[in-house]
Amino acid sequence: MKPYLTGLGIALALAFAPFFLGGYETNVLMMMLFFIILAVGLDLVAGYCGQFSFATGAFYGLGAYTAAILNRDMGSPIWLNLPAGALVAGLFGLLLGIPALRLKGHFLAIVTIAFQTIVYLTISQWTSFTGGQVGLSLANPAPLNLGFVTIEMGSLRSYYWLTLAVSVICLLVAWRLAHSRIGSEWIAIRDDETLAAAVGIDTTRGKLSAFVASAALAGVAGVLTAHALRGVTPDDYTIWISATVVAMMVLGGRGTFIGPILGAVFLVLVPELLGKFAEYKMLIYGVLLVLAITLMPEGVIGRLRKRAAR
Amino acid sequence: MDLFLQYVANGVVTGSTYVLVAVGLTLIFGILGVVNFAHGEFYMIGGYVGILAITVLKLPVFAAIAVVLLAAAVIGLLAEAILHKPLKSHDATNSIISSFGLAVALQNAALVVMGPQPQRLNLDVSKIPILASIPTDFGPVFLPQQRTLIPLTMVILIGVLYVILKYTWTGRSLRAMAQHPTVARLCGVRIQSVAVVTFMVGAGLAGIAGMLMSSIFFVYPVVGNMIALKAFTVVILGGMGNVAGAAVAGLLLGITESLTSAYLANGMRDIVGFVIVILMLLFRPQGLFGKVAERS
Repeated sequence: MKPYLTGLGIALALAFAPFFLGGYETNVLMMMLFFIILAVGLDLVAGYCGQFSFATGAFYGLGAYTAAILNRDMGSPIWLNLPAGALVAGLFGLLLGIPALRLKGHFLAIVTIAFQTIVYLTISQWTSFTGGQVGLSLANPAPLNLGFVTIEMGSLRSYYWLTLAVSVICLLVAWRLAHSRIGSEWIAIRDDETLAAAVGIDTTRGKLSAFVASAALAGVAGVLTAHALRGVTPDDYTIWISATVVAMMVLGGRGTFIGPILGAVFLVLVPELLGKFAEYKMLIYGVLLVLAITLMPEGVIGRLRKRAAR
Repeated sequence: MDLFLQYVANGVVTGSTYVLVAVGLTLIFGILGVVNFAHGEFYMIGGYVGILAITVLKLPVFAAIAVVLLAAAVIGLLAEAILHKPLKSHDATNSIISSFGLAVALQNAALVVMGPQPQRLNLDVSKIPILASIPTDFGPVFLPQQRTLIPLTMVILIGVLYVILKYTWTGRSLRAMAQHPTVARLCGVRIQSVAVVTFMVGAGLAGIAGMLMSSIFFVYPVVGNMIALKAFTVVILGGMGNVAGAAVAGLLLGITESLTSAYLANGMRDIVGFVIVILMLLFRPQGLFGKVAERS
């Protein structure tokens, strides 16, 4: 029960945060939540299942563009876009998972990068469908009418609470997955695929489910982001995003669940704190990534756990 | 038909760049087992150093080439110290992440130093004595001298590399490392110096490619991204670690892209290579020319 209570406590604290914070800080918190979903999602496939993916940005973008295109063509609200974005991204995750069945390590990394690039090139060049380099804009969310009360969804606070609620659900799902039988299968596949197959684990199902879960979570984050920014442009979903999310996961600790969350919090806060040095953000991410993998390949949480175990 | 030949010739020019970048990449992978995602940055740095040497330092072209080689060798040395030396005992995913980090850092360092605006090397090759004698018309095909220079340099450099790999002791120790690192070490191959030489050669080839291309296409901080991805495509098509395979596959990719943009759609140009690579990895992961057996 302890992790659930801790999570609940943090979620409650975050729910009250907008009363004490200004608009800017609330936006930063929201950005942090998006990246927490992305980093935890990547952790499922890369940290738990050991299948390295550099395509997080692509799934993030697929979710965002699903929301934008549905909103443009059918005026669909965010309630519908969230499952739709998760579904579309999840299907593409399945598609990317298929080559992953046969490929390992560097080959897989290259395929995921190729996939990321194909998605980026498609959304930036298929102008008639995706708006090309300019992107698309989303309509203001309609007020939510519950019968007895009408909630204005356009305001920053209500959107923040929605984001928080969706993030909590995503994290709960991810936590349950990681700590269920399927999560144990992922770890078994990561540690020794041959052995896992030998003891009767369906490695095909294991890998595909990890890819789909990770992609669907990124899709949800994409839908949330598209509605938050009221628009999508291809340059928000580049390989840089993938790099950032990989950095968050590695820095915090692969396969530790809490590590990528802390990594996301840290790497979203750092550029905000840097102020006018924010243009060095990606430079710092790159250097951090190199240093982390050289000095502490298991990440901060991984290192702490190792020490505790000793 | 004449137009077709012109497209093929243009494809050979870009393909030669892919060859120069991919051969270094395939060497680094084949010999050291390092998957170097920062390889495109060698190309980018070569382009910028070339532009700086010629326009700011006003060096003659051949001196500028020497400066590019020197700079690339230094970067290669640095990359080895970051990507190979400290990570030897860890698994391959670590070098993937680490080189990814290095690529991000180098691109953004270039962004800070050189700015985001694309730059080009204004070089009038027809004023340079030796290069001016290169013909520009080949039957129905017209190629300006700075374009012809690229396949020409590629053939010379890859030829020299091939001879070195085949007939010198350095080349033998490189090949020995590729076959079996432990046995190579037992036979007295110095792993550390082989690693440094491999990285320097790879960086040098990519740097020269970057400099040559900077007189045709723009150089910008993230220019290496696409080049590195294309080079990976080439490396996979040619078979990981296969130099001759990379040379053939690089030219093939260049020609395929040129024909795709001419006859299908210009927007498809960059996508076609990645589609091929995914299909290739699915159906023939050992590459076009690779043997089926893989070393453990």
